[in-house]
Formats: sequence, structure tokens, C-alpha cells
Amino acid sequence: MSLIFRKLARNNPRNIITDAQILVISCRKLSIVPSVYDGEDPAPKFFSSNVQVLLKRLTRPDFTKVFRKRTSHGLTVLKTPTYKFLTNEELEEEIAKANERADRLLQMPPVVKIQQHIEDVLSKDPALVGYDTAKYIFTDITFGVANEHRFIVERDPDGYLRSCDHDVRKRLNQVYFPTLGRKLREPVMFSDLEKFNSLLDREQYEFVLDRACVQYEPDEPSYQKITSMTYQHVDNKSKYELLRSTRHFGPLVFYLTWHQTMDKLMLELLQSGAVREAVLLTALRQDIHGDVANGDVARTIVQQILPTPVQLTKPETLTEEDIQLDSKCVECIEKYIVSNSSMKSQQELALQGFREHYQQLIELSRGLKKAHGKQ
Amino acid sequence: MTTKILTLGNILSRPINILLKQNNVTSNLKTNFSTTSVACVNFFNKLPAEKLWKSVTSVSNAGAKKGRGRGAGRIRIRDLNRGQMIGVGRINMLWPGLSAPVIRGRELLKQQRLPDDQERLEKLIKIRDSMTKFRRLKLSPIERGWSGTKMPGRSLGPPDPIGEDAFTGFDTKVLQLRSLLIMKGNLGRTRNFQALVVTGNGQGLAGFGFGKAKEVPAALRKAKNRSGQKLMHFEIYNGHTIYHDFYTAFGKTKIFVQKKNEGYGLVCHRAIKEICQAIGIKDLRAKVEGSNNLQHIVKAFFIGLLQQRTHQQLAEEKKLHLVEYKAENEYFPKVVASPSEVRTKDQVQKNETLDFTQYVMNDKVILKKKKFPRFYETMPHYKTYLKKYEKYRNHEKIRLNLKVEYGEVKSFLTDKYPEKAETEA
Repeated sequence: MSLIFRKLARNNPRNIITDAQILVISCRKLSIVPSVYDGEDPAPKFFSSNVQVLLKRLTRPDFTKVFRKRTSHGLTVLKTPTYKFLTNEELEEEIAKANERADRLLQMPPVVKIQQHIEDVLSKDPALVGYDTAKYIFTDITFGVANEHRFIVERDPDGYLRSCDHDVRKRLNQVYFPTLGRKLREPVMFSDLEKFNSLLDREQYEFVLDRACVQYEPDEPSYQKITSMTYQHVDNKSKYELLRSTRHFGPLVFYLTWHQTMDKLMLELLQSGAVREAVLLTALRQDIHGDVANGDVARTIVQQILPTPVQLTKPETLTEEDIQLDSKCVECIEKYIVSNSSMKSQQELALQGFREHYQQLIELSRGLKKAHGKQ
Repeated sequence: MTTKILTLGNILSRPINILLKQNNVTSNLKTNFSTTSVACVNFFNKLPAEKLWKSVTSVSNAGAKKGRGRGAGRIRIRDLNRGQMIGVGRINMLWPGLSAPVIRGRELLKQQRLPDDQERLEKLIKIRDSMTKFRRLKLSPIERGWSGTKMPGRSLGPPDPIGEDAFTGFDTKVLQLRSLLIMKGNLGRTRNFQALVVTGNGQGLAGFGFGKAKEVPAALRKAKNRSGQKLMHFEIYNGHTIYHDFYTAFGKTKIFVQKKNEGYGLVCHRAIKEICQAIGIKDLRAKVEGSNNLQHIVKAFFIGLLQQRTHQQLAEEKKLHLVEYKAENEYFPKVVASPSEVRTKDQVQKNETLDFTQYVMNDKVILKKKKFPRFYETMPHYKTYLKKYEKYRNHEKIRLNLKVEYGEVKSFLTDKYPEKAETEA
């Protein structure tokens, strides 16, 4: 089943391009079919340092959004702010600490393969057949054992002693060692598809993903279904900006790239003038699939991009190094569009628009330099 | 028959006449009037109404000076003629040409008695009572000030325009209105009114002014216009609060003012609250200590506000970065002000005040009084109460969760073991 789903998902972007405009809406509805990581294990790719660096950089962390006001933590009034006088060194230390905290806040939920059923018969005791009508479940509640390694077994009425499956394990773990915010029963917003869709239509993506992280384990089928539907919704509506600077942007990009549907994101990057990030995305595709024509070039450019600061807004003036780097990026993207893109015409148009804007910017900054009398 | 008897009646003595006559005519002749030659010597019919009323309502000269004969307990002159008409009385008679027309239609009206109006007396009493009762001036809740119909706390609107310059967006609030007694050479002790008002546009501009006059409205007008002439500008941090905590004093009045986060509100003396609203400050806490003299409070608070230093000034004074930490932003260090030149760690003196609050309070430390336990917390019954209610402590949350899960308060066992109605049991 899931294979078919994946094929559908792959075909969809093409449908959107080739079909008439009227069909786009109907395609949008159709295209949200949950897909899970049930083929190749994505974990080694996702956790590789190259991919992690690229995903973190693509998140484009804006600290005003990372450290924004979220909830009042049950307080009726906000706490009074505190102030400190700091020297330069102390300020740098504080900023470094804040960076660490930002890293913690932006830690990406892991992308792993879907869990397999546990079918592990420990013993068969014919003498116990029909001893009771109920199952007996034994849980080792020793302190300090990780939930996934906890020993939980069940004695069935048919005399079998077997390891419990994931759903039972999760329930018992939650009973004995509750995770804050996790409910024993699946919340209605996830179980009721209508409510879930209404949340997506209201663009409450971050809320959905945050709650999914709390409620599920990353290898659970429900988690992967919910997140995949959310990612597809974001992709269809091109609302990437809502997830930028959050910990869910990395998995979103990984999901799109893994299923080779990242061309809409690429288009958004080109339209917003973030060519450097477009190159990063190309390199990501090269790292995951290895099917980009000039993948090695992209990788070398990435090494030059990574030391430069994150561009939160469009630059107003350019240095010569910037111009060199950006022109390299544009060349790289051109080749990518020709060889790999599935949205060629639109992306070319966006790139052309960027080039024109960039040319103006180059002239402006060079003119400014001349006016200031610098060479 | 009757006419014959009537004619006879004229000749006959009166008692027989009364017996024979019909009811509607008898009462006319029944009215009591004395025919004795003795005059009633009683001041009620000896003195005119005016003098009688004066004797009841008058207050001695000394008493009037003290304010007696005013307000709620005052006796007022009642006009007993109000609500009465000539020709209409206790006995409801129809007098053609006096209380009714002579001819109605083609009919010539005759003098006759109509049925008694039972409510007439009640109506009269009601009208008389309405004259006596002290009626309080009613104000809508929006117009009301701090207390009842008193002026303090009430709004006066913007100061009067000067030439073509109008005070748009301004509003004036009365802070104090009181009467002063002053001695004059020829008049002796005379009464003056003094008003203290504050005006502001809610965007940093505000001023306060005094006004004195013989009459209340004049005093208020003077104060309002004078406050418009004495506007001061105050910087507001992020459009909602002050820049830092401060201490300020005027005379024996001391005020400790604290900066607060958004949504805290104005927790302070009512006059300080009005001033803050005039300026546009939304969140602040202020504690007045010492004298409660209102004029001193107002002056002290304005002085304190004027002596505030902005973050940039503080950073320049210290030559250090000023960094803000907010709990809701996960204590992200936000640089609110940077000096043009930053000192290094070695240049910072060892005995220097680096604590922000201590620095802005000019090394003044607020005495924080110890909080004692509530009187009941030491009593034995409080322990019993705590023990008794411990098991209910999470019930509210559980009820909420059940409502979320099932739509009502019931558990997973309710279907299996439904609650029996008490009548069955």
C-alpha cells in the first residue's frame, strides 16, 4: 500500500505543472496521502554530519523568532524583566550561551525508519493454558532504565509468554513513567481527520508538529503519517516561512528531498532571492540521493557558504566576495535546473528575476564604493 | 314626590331635612364650619405661611457658617399649594364655571357631586414628599470619579484652545478639589476653592496645574487651562512602562516606583494612576510611604519621572552594555543600549555598583518586610482542613479531562457500572 502512496506523491508535482490551472486545487486535495519511511532507513543519512549541517543552515534561525514569546507558563502576569551591565567579553559569553540554548530549542526531531512489530515468544507453558481469561502483563519498573529498554512481557491465556508490542509498551511506560504532555489516549486532533485537516487549513503547522512530538515516538506509524501530511500541506501551500526558525524545518526539508519533491521549495528560495540556500538544497539532494549533475560543485560551494553569516534579510550592499560567491551559486543552480529540476520554466523565470535584481544591486554597491572613494 | 317633600323641607326643621334628602346632596351641607363667636388664637392661623416655614427651616448664623442646614438632613420649604386647584377638593364636586364648563354640548351643566377620588390625597402627599427629599445628582458610571458625585477622578475634557492651537487628544482629570478659608480685611473669613488637575494626551505629554477661585467651576477651569500650559514630555519604554525602578520624595512623602512587564497594570495610588493614564504609562507599581498629602504625591511622582534616565544614558554613564533578560523570551540577552565606548573588565572598579536595580535606585535598598503566616495557618483546624481536602486537590483537573474525553463527567467504568438512581436504592 505504502509503495503506491509514495508513487502517487512523487507523481503529484508533475501533475500540478502539466495539468490545467483548474485542476491544481483538486490535485492539492488528492496529493495529501500519508507516507512513512518504510523503505530504506533514512536515519544514517539524516544523522550524518553533512546533512545535519545543511539542514540547520537551511532552517535560517532568526533569534527573534526562536526566542519569541510562546505561552505565559500558567502565570497570570508576565515576570518583570531583569537588566545587567555587561562588558564586551561578558556579552559575548552571554550570546554564546544563548546560542547553545537556541541549538537546544532548534534540535530537530529525529527522522528514522518506521518501527517493526515485536514478535518474540519467550516461552510456551501448556500447563497455564486457560488458567485465566485475562492477560497478565509484567513490567520492570526499576529506576533508571530507559523506556525503550524496559522489560515488559505479557502472559497470554494460551500459555505463551511474549514481549509486548510497541503500543502496549508505550501505554505501560506512560502509566509508570509519564511523559509530560503525553496523553494515554490519542488526542482528538490527531484521531479525528476532520479536526486535523481544519488545523492544517488554519495553518497551525507548528502546533500540530510540536504536539505530535510530545504524543508520539519518532518511529511510530501515526507520527510519521501526521508529520508527512503536515509537510505536504506546507509544501502545497508554500508556507515554508511559518516553519523557518523552528526545529521542524529540517525534517520538512529532509522529507521533501527524500521524496524528491523539493522543487517547490527551491522555487520559493529562488523567488525570495536566497540563492545560497538553493545551493545548500542542491547539495542536500546530492548527499541524500547523489543524482545531481553538478553535485560536487555544489558541495565545494557549500564549504564557502557555511562560514558566511546567515542572511535573514535581503542584502542591501555587496562586497566583491559576496558577488563572486553569489555568481558561482547562480551558475550552479542553472545547471541544476537544466538537469534535475521538475519545475524548469518557473525556476528559470525566478532565477532570471533574481539576476536582474542582483545586477542592479551590484551596480548600486559599486557606485556607492566609488562615491566613497574606495577601490 | 320628591319635589313636594323638598318644598316641605324648607319649612321643616333641618334634622328632618337631612333624613329625607338623597345622599348625593346631603354631604354638601354636612361640611363642618364653626359658627361660634370664639376666635382660635393659634400661630398656625395667626402667622403667614412664609413666617411659619422660616421658623422651621432657619439655621442660626453661627450654625450656617459651620455648614448646618445643608445636605441630607436639611428641612426644605414645601409649597402646599402645589398639585391643588381651585374648585377641586377633598369632596369631588362639579362646579360649572369653576372646575367645569357651563355648557357641554347642548346640555347646561348642573352643580353636582361626583364619586370620590380615592387616590387624590395619596397623589398630593407624593408631590409634597418629592419636594422634601434630598435628591442626589446621578452620574453614569463612565462619568463617575473616584467616589460618588465628587469631582476628584472626574474628567474635564481637554484644556481650552489657545488661539488656533487646540489640545487635541488631551484629557484632564481632577485630582483634588477643596475649599480654602482666607481672611480678608473687610469681608472677614471668605471661602475659596482650590483644584488640582492633571492633563495629558496618553502619548508622553502631561502636566498638572492648580486653580483657585470663588466658585468651583471657575477653579476647575483655571486649573485645567494652567495644566495645559505646563506640559512636560516623558519617555515611555516600549510604549507601556517606565525605564527603571526609582525612588522619589517630596516633603515627607516617599514613593517607590517599580517597572513592570506588559499586562501588569497600574497598581498604585489613585492619583498616580490618573497621572500614568494621562502620560500613557500602562504597567507600573508604586508604593507611597510617609505622608499621604496628595499634592506632595503628585509633585514627587512628577519629579521622579523627570529624573529618570533612559537606557542609553545609563549605558553611557556606566560605559557598559545594558542587556535585558525576559523570562518569556527564555532569558535571551537583548542589548537595549550600547555606549559609544565600552570599558573592559579591568577598568571596572571593584567597589562599583554593577547591580542594575541598585544602581538606578542610587544605592537605596528597599526594606522588604517579612511576610507572616496568615492567622489561621497556625491554628489546629487548618491542619485538619488540609488533610481533609488533600484527596480532592486534583479533582477539578480530572473533571476537565473527563469532559474533554467523554463530553461529560464520567469514566470508562460508567458504561459497565451505571450509577443507580437513589430512588431505586
